[in-house]
Amino acid sequence: MIPVRTLTLAALAATLAVPSSARAAAAVGQPAPEVSLPDTTGATRSLSAYKGKFVVLEWVNFECPFVGKHYGSGHMQKLQKDYTGKGVVWLSVNSSRAGSQGYYASDKVNALIKEKGAAPTAYLLDTAGTAGRAYGARTTPHMFIVDPKGTLIYAGGIDDTPSTDQADIATAKNFVSKALDEALAGKPVSTASSQAYGCSVKY
Amino acid sequence: MRGRGLSARLSAWTAAGLCALASSVAAAPPASKHVQPELVADVESIAAGRPFQAGLRLRMDPEWHTYWKNPGDSGLATRLTWKLPDGFQAGPIEWPYPVVFKQGPVTSYGYEDEVLLPVTITPPATLAAGTSVTLAARADWLECREACLPGRRELSLVLPVRGEAPRASAQAAAFAAARARLPQAGAGWAFEARETPDKVVLVVRPPRGQAAIQKATFFPDRGQLIDHAAAQAWTRAAGATAGYRLEMTPAPNAARPLGALEGVLVTEGSSGATVAVRVQANSTKEKP
Repeated sequence: MIPVRTLTLAALAATLAVPSSARAAAAVGQPAPEVSLPDTTGATRSLSAYKGKFVVLEWVNFECPFVGKHYGSGHMQKLQKDYTGKGVVWLSVNSSRAGSQGYYASDKVNALIKEKGAAPTAYLLDTAGTAGRAYGARTTPHMFIVDPKGTLIYAGGIDDTPSTDQADIATAKNFVSKALDEALAGKPVSTASSQAYGCSVKY
Repeated sequence: MRGRGLSARLSAWTAAGLCALASSVAAAPPASKHVQPELVADVESIAAGRPFQAGLRLRMDPEWHTYWKNPGDSGLATRLTWKLPDGFQAGPIEWPYPVVFKQGPVTSYGYEDEVLLPVTITPPATLAAGTSVTLAARADWLECREACLPGRRELSLVLPVRGEAPRASAQAAAFAAARARLPQAGAGWAFEARETPDKVVLVVRPPRGQAAIQKATFFPDRGQLIDHAAAQAWTRAAGATAGYRLEMTPAPNAARPLGALEGVLVTEGSSGATVAVRVQANSTKEKP
């Protein structure tokens, strides 16, 4: 009887441990989890290959109205151009599972990037959701910044105004540009995390 | 006939194409398709200086939902922007407690089927009987099944002004049902919050005479407080007056200390009856 009970308790403990470990989100101030995913040309892109540079990870789904707010206004494209122009690596990551909303084959993604004038360094296909789960990406958009040493320095929303309305962008406080400006100037990031807002990631 | 049918179909198709093109150029949000909004009141008529309740009723298609004031990991709270005649005042939305939606690792809070979001409206102290007033509001919401569509509608409600006390409207029962899901102020309940690096514990002491609580769920007023998706463990604390403990997980990357733990505790007794109570507790570090 005793061994059985012990086993049951151990199994119970293991079950109880699952929810938190399954949700283990990337922690600000800690090494950023590795990302190793195919881009739209089929080449594998790894976060570790960008050591020495700042990297932005942008969770994206072109069919989500919150993403539509930031691309429809040209705001996301401008951020991508401004910061890649300053040597920042910008990786758009799509964790929509195959067949779900926002999932497209590479050719279609490339056509959409062209149509929208998007300018990420690369667009990564995370169809299995591996990178999304490692970072705890919940929404599109959900933004993360990794510093040149590979430490996560920002995790959260793109700005402080949860809405789908493009008119709100002008008055919103953009956490990503603020964090990048501070980090590029060698200063600590004043707002290192925030509540992300958007559509759910379609895992 | 055949030719005409084809050309009619073609022109309809062309028009649809042009509309799609126009909407993508204007970047208009896709229109809501799965939620019917309506502005309603709990009275048939109003009188000077007598507060009453108006509310936004959202009727949602099966499987579609809208969101609570804290939408959780994803989504967007419903908003009401009032345009009222001079002297009228609208209070905030009084939010019935939500239900939980889980989609993979993403947990959200909201409503399905139908919800009524009540608001207290106070008319001015002088108002001429025999006239009528128009209460107008713009409702903004996000409707989601797996995918999401933003919804927006200009709504209005005309109510006659009478000299006598207002009579309850046919909607009064719906308002009563919504009020039954509002958190109580919690007279007699005592709450304490304690945090460790990987736990947030809400200590709950119900008022004397409260039936035993079998389980409870805490809905935080805002994000960046608790991990919405993590299990919440409800246990009876040792000792007759010790109450209960609800053990939760702090939100990933939340600023620490968490500060005030504010939200709604929904408790369930053995009969399945629920009691929702307003929680406000300052969080202190728990001694190891």
